[in-house]
Amino acid sequence: MSTDQLTGPDAEPAAPSPARSAGGRPRSGRARRPRSLQARRSGAFYVFVGPWILGFLGLTAYPLGYALWLSFTNSDGLSPNARFVGLANYREVFTDPDTLASLARTGLFAAITVPLTIVAGLILAVLINQPIRGRGVFRTLLYLPAVVPPVGAALTFKLIFDRDSGSANGVLDLLGINGIAWLGDPYARYVLIMLTVWGCGNVMIISLAGLQDVPRELLDAARVDGASQWQSFSRIILPLLSPVLFFQLVTQLIMTLQTFVPLLISLDPSPKGVGAIPESNYLIMIDVFAQYFANGRYGYASALLWVLFLFIMLITLLVFRLSKGAVFYSVDPEQTKPKTRTIGDK
Amino acid sequence: MSDSARASLDRRRFLAASAGAAFTAAALPGCAASVDSGSGSGGSGKTLTVMTLVDEWDAKTKKNIEKMLDVTLRIVTYDVTKLNAMLASKNPPDVVRGIGAMDAPYFAARGLMTDLDPYFAKSDVLKASDLAAANDVWRYDGEKQGSGPRYGLAKDYSQDSMFWYRTDLFEEAGLELPSETEPLSMDEWLDLGERLTKRRLGKVKVYGLSATSLGLFSQLMSWTASAGGSLFADDMATVDFSSPEALKALQWYIDYAKADIGPSIVNPNPDGWDGPTYQANRMAMSCNGYWFGGVIGGDAKLAEVSRFAPAPQLGSHRVSPCFSGTGFWMPKDAKNKEAAWRLFEWYFAGQPAKDRAGSGWGLPSLNSLRSMIPKESAFQKQAYQVQEQDTPYFSVLPVSPYAQVDALVGILSKVLPDAIKSGTKAGKVADTLNSRMNEQLARGKELLG
Repeated sequence: MSTDQLTGPDAEPAAPSPARSAGGRPRSGRARRPRSLQARRSGAFYVFVGPWILGFLGLTAYPLGYALWLSFTNSDGLSPNARFVGLANYREVFTDPDTLASLARTGLFAAITVPLTIVAGLILAVLINQPIRGRGVFRTLLYLPAVVPPVGAALTFKLIFDRDSGSANGVLDLLGINGIAWLGDPYARYVLIMLTVWGCGNVMIISLAGLQDVPRELLDAARVDGASQWQSFSRIILPLLSPVLFFQLVTQLIMTLQTFVPLLISLDPSPKGVGAIPESNYLIMIDVFAQYFANGRYGYASALLWVLFLFIMLITLLVFRLSKGAVFYSVDPEQTKPKTRTIGDK
Repeated sequence: MSDSARASLDRRRFLAASAGAAFTAAALPGCAASVDSGSGSGGSGKTLTVMTLVDEWDAKTKKNIEKMLDVTLRIVTYDVTKLNAMLASKNPPDVVRGIGAMDAPYFAARGLMTDLDPYFAKSDVLKASDLAAANDVWRYDGEKQGSGPRYGLAKDYSQDSMFWYRTDLFEEAGLELPSETEPLSMDEWLDLGERLTKRRLGKVKVYGLSATSLGLFSQLMSWTASAGGSLFADDMATVDFSSPEALKALQWYIDYAKADIGPSIVNPNPDGWDGPTYQANRMAMSCNGYWFGGVIGGDAKLAEVSRFAPAPQLGSHRVSPCFSGTGFWMPKDAKNKEAAWRLFEWYFAGQPAKDRAGSGWGLPSLNSLRSMIPKESAFQKQAYQVQEQDTPYFSVLPVSPYAQVDALVGILSKVLPDAIKSGTKAGKVADTLNSRMNEQLARGKELLG
């Protein structure tokens, strides 16, 4: 925005400055400059952006830079003889079969759970958007898993799926079926997927908000034109909901690629217990945690984190690229000034 | 300069200043450490930072400590990741909870611990001559654990290869009770475990034996030692699972895990430890030291049917080591060492030590408090007698300073489950363990120089 724009017709009239008398003459030879609109706007900019900038620099940029530096060393954080090792850690990331396997496992986990979570959340949102009795109760109950602390949820799942005393095997026992070692390989991955999808309440709430934003008149018009419920859903609701679903796809993807839940459902969520996590749940963040705090390989773990960071960026860019044409924006955010809405507008 | 140009410049300056401020803020802890890095000359008016369990002391005790030591007590909840960060920034707590048997060589070799010998020399309360032998797990001479300067003290200890058993489950199975004086052989122990296990539809309803509740790596060290060998080479820079003694220990564990008679690396205990399972009548034998009597003593019915037994042996070299020796140590960069030592004196020799000695939750770390071990009930008398007979067989099993034991445990956890399920021969498993653990140890050795 140019200065002209700021001082144009939209600009507020300058307030009388304490440095000026009411008649507009300076009180003395060294009068203070009037505080212009631009100065005030600049002040507001600093006040609002300052805490974020400081937080970003101190809590994101600095740690990222520090981790980048660490990733070129063999530091264990405590020993005196750490040295620069160049790209050795990065070479190891791409040649270590354990790391590559955990990266592949993480990709597979995301490929399964992200669509499942979004579809489950959407289905639940559609269901609780219906005018049924006790709708509020259902909304609350279905959202509850999302507010249960992950540690509590993990503990509950551990108890349910224990081989010898868990209720899942108790049910199988009633049916005369042999118990399953759910928390060991290869079943542990299914428990992890169940636990992740179980917490789809957040997706549900966001989808519900999107559903309630679909203009009623469009659905009425479709019904008048003889559209079936499925046609209304697939040709009106889904396209209008696509920005919301796309947002969820991106955020869920980023979150899932960094998931730490396997550590929570392990028996000893500490550096000591990290090795006991079943291989099928040994995702990349678990490997990072183990390398940092069990193996003391700060340099290598930092290289892993940077590779993961770049991997997530790449995947996100890819998703953005692939989504072109699949996401329908009713308003182009880059060209059109959005219409001002007030609460209660439909 | 136009207004817009000035505003733009201001923003740039502002962003640059923000960056500077952030970096300065990040550097401040380091500066703070260098300003006050000397050992405090007296605790008066200072803060004493203790990293320990969140419920180590109640509010009243904390106030008493503050009054007694004339300090402000700051408790930092124990978290190894936080500890590493504090040590790395040279801004550590004054006192840290730790596991002597596992932690001492690693931290001492990196010069992160305070040598406590000068403090013992001038103390009227804590005398090195009064320390139980188990405190030697906190010693490190620069090459090996077990001798040299003392870097910490155990609050109490146990000989962790001994085991507890339930007489009611033995009687139900029609089995003779283990001897109170002669240790079982490992084969006898495994056989008993198999006979005591109860199953239904692929599930174990009652575990016959929990053999490694305080850590598989430590137990493998203990069993190898009882067979006359050692997992670590003399220079502590390599492990050797292929020696006949270590291979025997490894094979025993593989047989145990395959037999599925108790919690193992393939089927861990969902309770995380043996206490609840043993109490619930779902475990016949639990390999835990004297401290486990604290769990049992809290339940009169359980105490009536529980007995203690000597550490089973894999060979003829009778050993009964301690795997933890949990206590406190003082980081080298601690800022209030005098107050920290006075806390040591109170905690390890004062009323808290006496209370612990009489509680049955572990053996006292001072010989002078040994008379306070509870001996009132039949269960306590039996446990005390068995303990007294096993005490002479205590020895420190040194761990390497080149890797944290957690890292070696992690390798065991990665290699063993597949090997057990696929029926890989113990020799091949040993080769894999040697290769991976020695790689880890070599990295640590390079860093230590």
